[in-house]
Amino acid sequence: MRVIFALLLIGFSTLSYAVEQAEEIFKQLAPSLYQIRLIDKASGEKSSIGSGFQISSDGLIATNYHVISGYARHPHKYTIEYIDNQGNKAQLELKSVDVINDLAIVQRQVTSVMPYFEIAQQAPTKGEELYSLGNPHDLGMIVVPGTYNGLKNESFNDRIHFTGSVNSGMSGGPVVNKNTEVVGINVATSGNQIGFLVPHDKLLTLYLNYKTSPPESIEQQMAAQLMQNQSKLISTIMNSDWQLKQLGRGLIPTIDVPFVRCWGESNSDKADAQIMAAVANCDLDENTYISSDFFTGSLEMEYRYMESSKISSTKFYHIFQRQLDRVSPGNQAGKDDVTEYQCHHDIVMPDTSNIRNKAAFCTRAYKDFPDLYDVLYIAISVDHEQYALLSHFTISGVAQETSLAFLAKFMESVSWK
Amino acid sequence: MEIIIEEISHGHKLLGRHKFAADSISIGRGYDNDIIISDPHVCADHLHLQFNGEHWFVSDQGSINGSYLENSKENIIQHQVKSGDIITIGKSQVRLVFPSHPVDESIAISPFESLINLARHPLALALNISLFAFIAGWIIDLGNVNEVTLTQMIVPTIGLTFAFALWPAGLALVSHLTKHDARFWTQVGISFIFFNLMWFSDIFENIVHFNTSSNFSMVWIIAIIPLLLAFCLFWLNCYVGFHMTLRRRNLVSLCLVLLLFGGSLIIQMSKQPDFNPRPQFNTKIMSPAFLFAPSSNVERFVSDSAKLFDKVTKQAEEDSKE
Repeated sequence: MRVIFALLLIGFSTLSYAVEQAEEIFKQLAPSLYQIRLIDKASGEKSSIGSGFQISSDGLIATNYHVISGYARHPHKYTIEYIDNQGNKAQLELKSVDVINDLAIVQRQVTSVMPYFEIAQQAPTKGEELYSLGNPHDLGMIVVPGTYNGLKNESFNDRIHFTGSVNSGMSGGPVVNKNTEVVGINVATSGNQIGFLVPHDKLLTLYLNYKTSPPESIEQQMAAQLMQNQSKLISTIMNSDWQLKQLGRGLIPTIDVPFVRCWGESNSDKADAQIMAAVANCDLDENTYISSDFFTGSLEMEYRYMESSKISSTKFYHIFQRQLDRVSPGNQAGKDDVTEYQCHHDIVMPDTSNIRNKAAFCTRAYKDFPDLYDVLYIAISVDHEQYALLSHFTISGVAQETSLAFLAKFMESVSWK
Repeated sequence: MEIIIEEISHGHKLLGRHKFAADSISIGRGYDNDIIISDPHVCADHLHLQFNGEHWFVSDQGSINGSYLENSKENIIQHQVKSGDIITIGKSQVRLVFPSHPVDESIAISPFESLINLARHPLALALNISLFAFIAGWIIDLGNVNEVTLTQMIVPTIGLTFAFALWPAGLALVSHLTKHDARFWTQVGISFIFFNLMWFSDIFENIVHFNTSSNFSMVWIIAIIPLLLAFCLFWLNCYVGFHMTLRRRNLVSLCLVLLLFGGSLIIQMSKQPDFNPRPQFNTKIMSPAFLFAPSSNVERFVSDSAKLFDKVTKQAEEDSKE
């Protein structure tokens, strides 16, 4: 393996030092950087762009899964193409993906041994200066200096919090340290200097796995990854501490893990409201991108408490019923991706608790990924004249066993105080 | 021999009836005729009837448009009249009947008729309409999230009541126009009785939906009740407003029910998207006072839910085969 170059320049002020260093890094690394384009075969024009970088001498290039997702989902519709720093274009072949960590490996044809990026062996230290490379908005390759701020705390699948501008089109570009080793891959931004990177070890694992056993089909590989991730996620959640919190006269479960975040709201400031309402909802701060109109891997829980002494019980429940009519899935998916929902509803009272609910459970199957489903549960208590509690969750991309285990635990956790 | 001549419409509705003792009768547009028909397609001297002491004979008087027996294309010349003959002249028709012509058996006034007349008793009318208005107002109020005053309620309630009164009013008008007895108040009384029954069937349906789980597969039976009520309403509307045979009345009511419910079903189906990303289930919830069903436990609910997975998996397989 070949380290591209050691850095020789030592600047005089930190600012000019950083700028010069960025320039130098860019100059060295430019030949191994690519713009990745998805070309729509029918129109012959590019339909999405991103960045990529070479990770082996024989032409393997790393990029984001979401850059080439169109091809992964519809191989007949698109071709993948690269443009190097000389402006040369050629086709790429999709070799392997990691849909959970949004990574993909593509391959170009090479005639001779080429320079490539070395993947770091260690994570950076907090505050370390990093350089993000990429081609934002098709404006040309740029280098953006920034700082490493550790792993994002609220993330189930690790993401590096990078303080620096990551813009669209830079997706799939490498982020290197001073030694030009790749420590992360550009993946997302929250605007205003907040960028997110996929840690280097995810890429290293994907690369090594590819070297030992290349996947037979991308679709099967994705299905296996989605299956593994959901089982890891739901078992983590099931084994975590479920804390009961009070909402109105009800007790609701919230999960004490950093990657599930909760929010709340109520109308207690409105004295003339006919119904007093309080809402709490908790959700997973991330989801898995499969294509621009198909997301999975989300989890949401919502609770709604309503109480009224001003209106009749019949009217109260008539109004509350609208909450049920409004229920919608937590993730976006289309006709080609999933079936329509099938539902079961009943009046349910858990043996262990004192709440009587009208409950409904719905599920739909994924068409391309066998044994994965979206599930949705909603229940409204129907045992008190003037107050009621709604409990609801949706999980996307789960297996039957895990979702039913979650359902049972969730139903048994909601109760009256 | 005496003869009776009836002027009839194309639908064989009676327009006028004349009885003659004379031996010679003339029909035409001219004022010198015994029967004057003001149809521009009828000639001044159009048709002539003559009694020869034994039989009546009818002849066309060389009119422009001719005179024809029903179902025949031959111009009438010296035709021997049989009781019940219908003759088309111009665009009008006359029917010739002898005094000995048989009539249908008389129908006894049924107790059913007096039962129906109960509906237009002022007390029953007032009771039914006010019950309807009360329920309408209650339902309008149910859907309103904000506080509503009584005066705000009155206008939509009265509006709705009047809108529903349009149906019996329209029926009475049609009856009147087709030369039947209008019987407006009877129609109003009957219609509002059934409108109220439909409210109640709706409430009943809601209670059943609220109490049953999706394991209960007989819910469709409940859906038949409004169909039956609508059929009865239309049947009685026909009975009161129009003279028609039982068979015809059944047919007309059935067609109206099909038109009303089938039409709304088709409209609903046409609005259904190709793919619905939202889950569809019975969302009915009501006050605990209406909950009579025993509850399942979590285990039962989970095992019932587990069956759904096979269903959607099969569906996914079928879809990917297409």
